[in-house]
Amino acid sequence: MSRFLDPAESSKPYTDPTPLPADVPKVKELGVTSAPLKSAAFFLGAYCKDYNEDFMLCKAENPDPAHCLKEGRRVTRCAQDLITKLRENCLSEFEKHWNCLENNNQYYPCRKDERVLNKCVFEKLGLVKTIPGTPEGKTPIHEVKNPIYTGVQK
Amino acid sequence: MFGAAGTLLNTSKRLQNQGKPVRHGLDAWDEMMMDRDRRLTGHKRGQAAEPYAPEEFETNSAWYTQRTA
Repeated sequence: MSRFLDPAESSKPYTDPTPLPADVPKVKELGVTSAPLKSAAFFLGAYCKDYNEDFMLCKAENPDPAHCLKEGRRVTRCAQDLITKLRENCLSEFEKHWNCLENNNQYYPCRKDERVLNKCVFEKLGLVKTIPGTPEGKTPIHEVKNPIYTGVQK
Repeated sequence: MFGAAGTLLNTSKRLQNQGKPVRHGLDAWDEMMMDRDRRLTGHKRGQAAEPYAPEEFETNSAWYTQRTA
């Protein structure tokens, strides 16, 4: 008789009763979900490095959400810019890669698609995927031809 | 018997996940991202690669009203 009614599926979805005040400049939110974001992550790091670092330093000073709104808006706009450019130039490779990532939870099975995407992004946008913290002298794991550790079995 | 039960379970799980394999090894970050995906697309496995989010996304987060204590 009484069963669990998931609030996420209700006919009146939740809306915030206290939205932002009108004097805060409006910026549209990023509409990218987890898999495309994971695919584009390193390119976001390369393209939006300055804005991301600004935001992180600002948050380190004071974690209050109201303190870093301006830097946050800049990060959002930069990410939107990059996603628009990715879609214009490398849409099919991007879609293939993030569909592969969505079906597997890890990077290893999708290295082939990733190499194709990296090549396209490098040619059209000039962005390179670098993994910070790679030990000196060793090839980064995404460029290793035959890695020792392959995919994790569920 | 085992084959039939296994196939049935696999099909059921795939149907719940929009035809994709079940996500394994989830941590708190992945749970949070899947909740965000549900807010953006309506299903926890739904994906979209648009630069701009729909209007409802900006105000449908229940995080501010959750009580954690």
